[in-house]
Amino acid sequence: MKKETEYIKKEENHEKLLRAELLFAPLLIICPVLVSVFLINDWYIRGFSTGISTYDGELLLAAIILSGNILFDIPFIKSLKTHHKK
Amino acid sequence: MNKLTAAKQKIVNQQVEIKNKINSIELEAHWFRRVFHTFASCFLVYYLLPDDPWITTLKILIAVGIVVFVIILEYLRIKEIICNSNFFGLRRYEEKRPASYVYFGLALLILLVFFPQQIAIPCILCACFSDPIMGEIRHRFGKKEAYIGGFLICMFFFLITWNTVNVSILILISILGASAAVIGEAKKFWLIDDDFMIQILPAVIIFSVWQILLFGGIDILPAELIPPF
Repeated sequence: MKKETEYIKKEENHEKLLRAELLFAPLLIICPVLVSVFLINDWYIRGFSTGISTYDGELLLAAIILSGNILFDIPFIKSLKTHHKK
Repeated sequence: MNKLTAAKQKIVNQQVEIKNKINSIELEAHWFRRVFHTFASCFLVYYLLPDDPWITTLKILIAVGIVVFVIILEYLRIKEIICNSNFFGLRRYEEKRPASYVYFGLALLILLVFFPQQIAIPCILCACFSDPIMGEIRHRFGKKEAYIGGFLICMFFFLITWNTVNVSILILISILGASAAVIGEAKKFWLIDDDFMIQILPAVIIFSVWQILLFGGIDILPAELIPPF
């Protein structure tokens, strides 16, 4: 019996889907890094260099976004590499 | 006889190969969905954009435009004008109903447009990070551990966003927000996805607490985490 939480898998179409996934991959990986850099830059310019602590939240947020994304990007990239080796 | 054994072995090998291929697609879809969640944290860049009236209008229009586009795409998929098999990582229960990314986008839009960032940011972080982390903990250890882990992570997000308010309010908001997020994630509805509930339920509860206290003359809302330009 097929479980509801199973993924929809179509053997004949999966190469096309994987190509779409590969196109998405750089966006999924690079965008969060860019946003984090943007937040850190803003914190540095408006907060750190002027000595205003109001902007410290941005640094914290950047750290969360960056670490959270890296945590999941590594297994994602590994799974991509494993599949494309086959 | 040898030919028969060789043919049998060949079939077995082919089956193993197909199974491995399907398992690797399953693994990729699994991580693809997880990464899509964490990627959504990028939309917090919304708060970094200036607060000029025309830019505010423009950023709201862009956000609405993205969600409308996704809803149209989803409508076409459900009506089978676009085939299901063109979408990577869909689950079986999403075949005949809107997929979770639509709910995610809708909840994100509601939070960005209608809620103050002090309420919206921790709720968005819960959906972006607590949800996949809870999923992973559930996958490896079990449900109870996932709820405890999820609660602690959600609480952390509320604690850092509301860290400038007084301690009793901070604890109240963190416990309320984290509980609501975990309930939103744990309670499954057929039509409303947990990606919607994990964001909207804590936001509505905290917004209500804020409004009730504001009515009594107490403003508990902390300073903005991302001051606009």
